Amino acid sequence: MPHMLTRKLSPVQSIWFLVTKRASHVSRQLYDVIVVGGGHAGTEAAAAAARAGAETLLVTQKIQTIGALSCNPSLGGVGKGHLVKEIDALDGLCGRAGDWAGIHFSILNRRKGPAVWGPRAQLDRQRYREFIQAELLSTPRLTVLEGSVEELLVTDPNPEEPGVHSVTGIRLANSSHPISASSVILTTGTFLSGSLFMGQTTSPGGRIGDAPSSSGLSQTLRERLGLRVGRLRTGTPPRILKDSVDLSLAKLHPPDSNPTPFSFMNTHTRCKPEEQLPCYLTYTTPGVERVVRESLHLNCHIQQDTKGPRYCPSIESKVLRFPGRSHQVWLEPEGVNSDLLYPQGLSMTMPPDVQLRLIREIPAMHRAEIHTPGYGVQYDYVCPTQLSPALQVKNTQGLFLAGQINGTTGYEEAAAQGLWAGLNAARWALSLPLVGLSRTESYIGVLIDDLVSRGVKEPYRMFTSRAEFRTSLRPDNADLRLTMKGYELGCVSSVRHNEAVRVKRGLQDAISSLQALTMSTTRWRRMLPGISVSESKNSSLSGMDLLQYKDVSFEMLASVFPENLSEYMEFSERLKIEAVYKPHCDQSKREIERIQKEENMTLPQNIDYFTLPVSLSQEVREILDRFRPSTLGAATRLEGMTPAALVTLFNYVQFTGKEARTTNRKQTDHEEDLCTRNASLPQ
Amino acid sequence: MYCPATMLPVSAVCGGIYRAATRALRTRKIHQCCHLSSGDGVLQAGLADADTIFALSSGHGRCGVAVVRISGPAATTALRSMVGLRKHLPPPRTAMLRSITDPYSKEILDRGLVLWFPAPHSFTGEDSAEFHIHGGPAVITAVLQALGSVPGMRPAEAGEFTRRAFHAGKLDLTEVEGLGDLIHAETEAQRRQALRQMSGDLACLYQNWSHRLKRCLAHVEAFIDFSEDELIEEGVLEQVDISVHDLQAEIGQHLKDERRGERLRSGVHVVIAGATNAGKSSLLNTLCQRPAAIVSPIAGTTRDVVETALDIGGFPVLLSDTAGLRESPDLVEQEGVRRARERVQQADLTLLVVDSTLLPSEEHQASALLLNHLRSVLSSQENTETGRCLLVLNKTDLLPEAQREKLNRGLRGVSGLPPVCLISCQTNEGLKDFLTLLQSSIKSMCGDPLSGAPTLTQARHRAHLQQCVAALAQYGRYRDTDLALAAEGIRLALTGLGRITGRVGAEEILDIIFKDFCIGK
Repeated sequence: MPHMLTRKLSPVQSIWFLVTKRASHVSRQLYDVIVVGGGHAGTEAAAAAARAGAETLLVTQKIQTIGALSCNPSLGGVGKGHLVKEIDALDGLCGRAGDWAGIHFSILNRRKGPAVWGPRAQLDRQRYREFIQAELLSTPRLTVLEGSVEELLVTDPNPEEPGVHSVTGIRLANSSHPISASSVILTTGTFLSGSLFMGQTTSPGGRIGDAPSSSGLSQTLRERLGLRVGRLRTGTPPRILKDSVDLSLAKLHPPDSNPTPFSFMNTHTRCKPEEQLPCYLTYTTPGVERVVRESLHLNCHIQQDTKGPRYCPSIESKVLRFPGRSHQVWLEPEGVNSDLLYPQGLSMTMPPDVQLRLIREIPAMHRAEIHTPGYGVQYDYVCPTQLSPALQVKNTQGLFLAGQINGTTGYEEAAAQGLWAGLNAARWALSLPLVGLSRTESYIGVLIDDLVSRGVKEPYRMFTSRAEFRTSLRPDNADLRLTMKGYELGCVSSVRHNEAVRVKRGLQDAISSLQALTMSTTRWRRMLPGISVSESKNSSLSGMDLLQYKDVSFEMLASVFPENLSEYMEFSERLKIEAVYKPHCDQSKREIERIQKEENMTLPQNIDYFTLPVSLSQEVREILDRFRPSTLGAATRLEGMTPAALVTLFNYVQFTGKEARTTNRKQTDHEEDLCTRNASLPQ
Repeated sequence: MYCPATMLPVSAVCGGIYRAATRALRTRKIHQCCHLSSGDGVLQAGLADADTIFALSSGHGRCGVAVVRISGPAATTALRSMVGLRKHLPPPRTAMLRSITDPYSKEILDRGLVLWFPAPHSFTGEDSAEFHIHGGPAVITAVLQALGSVPGMRPAEAGEFTRRAFHAGKLDLTEVEGLGDLIHAETEAQRRQALRQMSGDLACLYQNWSHRLKRCLAHVEAFIDFSEDELIEEGVLEQVDISVHDLQAEIGQHLKDERRGERLRSGVHVVIAGATNAGKSSLLNTLCQRPAAIVSPIAGTTRDVVETALDIGGFPVLLSDTAGLRESPDLVEQEGVRRARERVQQADLTLLVVDSTLLPSEEHQASALLLNHLRSVLSSQENTETGRCLLVLNKTDLLPEAQREKLNRGLRGVSGLPPVCLISCQTNEGLKDFLTLLQSSIKSMCGDPLSGAPTLTQARHRAHLQQCVAALAQYGRYRDTDLALAAEGIRLALTGLGRITGRVGAEEILDIIFKDFCIGK
């Protein structure tokens, strides 16, 4: 098994190399793909595009901040961990970066069933940046450039396709020369018309310490391309000096004793089990609530009407929405050598002196000192219903958007979109058909489908409850679901592909061996005394059936049949999970197939729903025009759609625009092909 | 896949078919559970996921010919087991006149045209069949119930045939212009109408369950998605346990409403039973005002079940006359008596006819004799409830006036005796009082559609509610070992209920989560 962790460049070397590439030294003026932004979406996008074979340029304001964790020093969790596993299965960066930088690993929901296990880690900020920067450096076909994008270059609409622009490249600030590209990916995070809030002061910017981005970009999107934008807000807590906190007054929260890596390519994490750092849990007090209430008039962020996330609220909104309660505050390490703590749950935007007063109302922090105060950010996002499932702007060929610009929140959500946009941007530049991911096969598919077909009203975060087929979309099987597909599409290396093929074959063989071990219940009970298989059943059971029982483990079966099973010991946990979930996955297969069928029926993007000569109500026409679903499947999920309208639409697509359909058909066939391959996982 | 239990010869005649159908469904459910726990993995999909659908495709209400359409892989099973085509399927797309039989009892339900449309040359693109049968409600109900007892078959959802046709790419542009409106009527309007028609109470009841299930799901989802590093109060799951348990009990109770609502839609089964020559067939003829059954002074004239559909006081009634109960060396008559007894067991209401001239003149002796007779006829415990029976003392025209009065007074209010009517099928004396009594019994059995506890009105609803209850059991099964699978149970239950009340999306669940919990991260 390969150990990716061992072949890393030294961080010093990587940063030195990156810094040498300044705007003035750009070696070429023509790329396949340009990625704007070096956050979680941008780095995954650039790496994926380069993996997929595109000459790629990553433009970022500051090379040192590539791979920076702007907010919480952690990765994964319930739902988010699923995304990390899927990104890793598609050969993305963040899973391996997490294994490199993690200093506190735990699997959340350990007792709630493997479908909802949430792999999570606290990260060392420094190490995470190092890894991402070194990784980008060693990626062939990828150039990193420090600079600020002044303008997005797009063509006027093509007279043959009214309203459809094409992207041609970008122009940097302080430079008159454009850089051309077939595809441009914008991953501007909170920088699109971003403003920072602290107390009563407001300043332009997307992150504290960074220059605001140019207003030119925002203007092009809004005025030139006519994209609808909305405004969202988020915030971050103050960073606390570790030495000033009395940790004996907080509850110690140790990591898992044996860290589980995120990546399917890693057998262990860089951090040794005993080197892991703990977290601490403490609670807010009535004093905190009092300070919030007293300082409301000094807090302009909280008074604004912009939509913030309901699930990552500032302490102000928590206190106002649920008064009289105590709220959790996690004190998380920021790194092995960091002298800071991150107070998870204390995101706030009041003036710095009030922030200090507030945190000192919490016993463990009664003498705490603030290193950097918390602040709020408001920023523009582009309503994501204007994107296709490939994350391409529907009315601008070659323009892709990923991350917070699409209304999401969270590193993992951003990284997932970045990867998918990067792959598609490369495919666009290389004249390959664009591809989507089904919500029946991945959380990334759920994420993108929710964004492009339903839009967002608040920052979008992933939850397992969003996935209809949660029992099939598990963290443990992300490689089986996605790696082969990713390899076909070009974003997965052959090393990883070979590993996934090996694992898949191993699992299939092990399952066949288990199924071949079929005998009567009585015999099983004799061989494995103490298992609770009910006596009354005189039927025979296979090893796979037996493995469904709570108190039966693969190890137990392997100890009885070492000659048949011992070679599969490395898969023991995965086999147990496969056995337990198999009946439920089989049950949902039919529904999955139905949805996939509907998703494979694409709707042309240039339909004028208002003049379509078919019988549709005005109400339905308006819904279709507003959301412009890409597939019939997406149309069925729109609120207010009627079955009649769907039939009408289907037939319109079936019998008109044959040309458009032929190209779509090719793509669909390809996807269907992959779906079938995907469906034939170990049974 | 055939469950051996469903192959039991449940030799039901028409009235028993519903029971046969539910029994089959029930055993199939159990069967399914066995698979779950034995881990066979060959799970039969639940009702809503079963593949083959059937429905009355012609309009509701009385009509000359009714068309029942079947679509899906089990269409061939239906043809094989119901129209006696064991070996060869009929030639495609050719009408054949066949007897349509119950798959288990082999009872002939009707004789009609059978058409076979093998895939892909059918309306839906799947294997399909059509039965063109007589349009009476009794025949239609019997055929639909028999179809429901075929493994793998379930009643179609509104618009489902069209949906399948649509998926198979079977609709062409000329058809679709008209079809769009048609489907619209079939689905949206139908659902709304169905909800509206469900007495307001029923709609309220289902909405209430749906609301509570949504909360249960939201709380479990919150526990899964947020509990570990965010603040979800302890005891959330315990509350869900209680709610799920209550819902299971309530929906289960609702399903045991003894079919009142469906009775209202498809008819109350009333059976005329009694000793030979008591005048049972005369009563049938009197009630349906035509000579439906042969009447003669010879004991044992009626040997099989004679059935007729009636409207009594606005309620649909399926009235059956049965062979007189007696020991007989005649094999045919023995079978007739066996069927009669079975009918009585399955009846909603039994009219026990007694020849009043054979009663002792003394009223105490008479009532003792009647009680005895009652017990021997209504052998099953369920039917000895007096509410399920009426005593009809026939041939009063042959009694002296004084004796009539004596019986009339002496047999009222005797404990253990059902309501008594003295009538004469010859002179129609007492018939009016009898009809009033019959009508009020039937009415109480159907429930007043305008008031009282809500009742199930549609077999389709029943199927979804059964699915819902079964899915809730999954919650309990996995509650402590795998919360994801337990939550899946509630999700499935909500989907089942959602097919009656409307779909529930993930956003709606998240809204409840954020309303109920302060998610702290």
